Amino acid sequence: MQTNSNQHISDQELLDRFRQDGNNQWLGIVLQRYTLLLLGVCMKYLKNEEAAKDAVQQVFLKSIAELQKYEVAYLKSWLYTIARNYCLMQLRNKNKMVPVLEDTALAPDQDVLEAVKEKELVLQELEQCLEVLNEPQKTCVTLFYLQKKSYQEIVDQTGFNLLQVKSYIQNGKRNLKILLLEKLQQH
Amino acid sequence: MSNLSNILPNSSQPDEAALKRYLEGNATAEERFAIENQMSDEAFFNDAVEGLQEFKDKNLMQEYVAQLNKDLQKQTDKKKARKLKRALQDQDWTIIAIVIVLLLCSLGYAVIHLLRK
Repeated sequence: MQTNSNQHISDQELLDRFRQDGNNQWLGIVLQRYTLLLLGVCMKYLKNEEAAKDAVQQVFLKSIAELQKYEVAYLKSWLYTIARNYCLMQLRNKNKMVPVLEDTALAPDQDVLEAVKEKELVLQELEQCLEVLNEPQKTCVTLFYLQKKSYQEIVDQTGFNLLQVKSYIQNGKRNLKILLLEKLQQH
Repeated sequence: MSNLSNILPNSSQPDEAALKRYLEGNATAEERFAIENQMSDEAFFNDAVEGLQEFKDKNLMQEYVAQLNKDLQKQTDKKKARKLKRALQDQDWTIIAIVIVLLLCSLGYAVIHLLRK
């Protein structure tokens, strides 16, 4: 998520450069890639534009301080955790009800599927797994992934609300992954 | 069968311009699919898009992003300048210490030399 001239340099490479020469400007470049997303996350939790902006500033300050002390392997998920924790702390301080959140680790758990993406076998198994899903999940997954319908189009077509549609797609995909891994382990 | 591969995790990330168009309701069907697909894959991205959709004024949102980036740049530049200054100050003291030690050695040598005579 960036538009500047350092686009070709990966997050990891920028962090490596920072570790080598201690120049904070590398941190500035890598953190800027996530400004918009972090603003969105903070807005989602805090429901206030000014508070969200202040929260992102705090997340940046904390990140700069922490990255000087520790090595971070997955910057993106680390930033997400920092932003979410900061927002939840803000909400707790205001004595608001805070929903219990699932642990949503990012990329690493997707690596297993990524590695076998190219295999035709996976697609064949996937087709069979799709049939095993319950009806709402199967419908939403099919409309979204196979027919490339938008969330809104699926809402209009099925009569489910937006939250249900998102949930059926996410849970359907998760179930497919579980079923697929089981099937692949049998081979 | 080919569309089934859409279900598998995708490694490409939609770019920021496409996301802005999506938020404004101007994304192409392809961009819209890429963004919603990413949302279904990744909690961070999903939360971010849901939060950004709550901004009533998308221009104000852009201003916030620009301001945050500017502040971040100032912050990282300032720390670099401070670090450099501190490093130079540290170096100054090292040089002064070396000069004093050398002077003391020379003085000591001269005194011992004079006393022997």
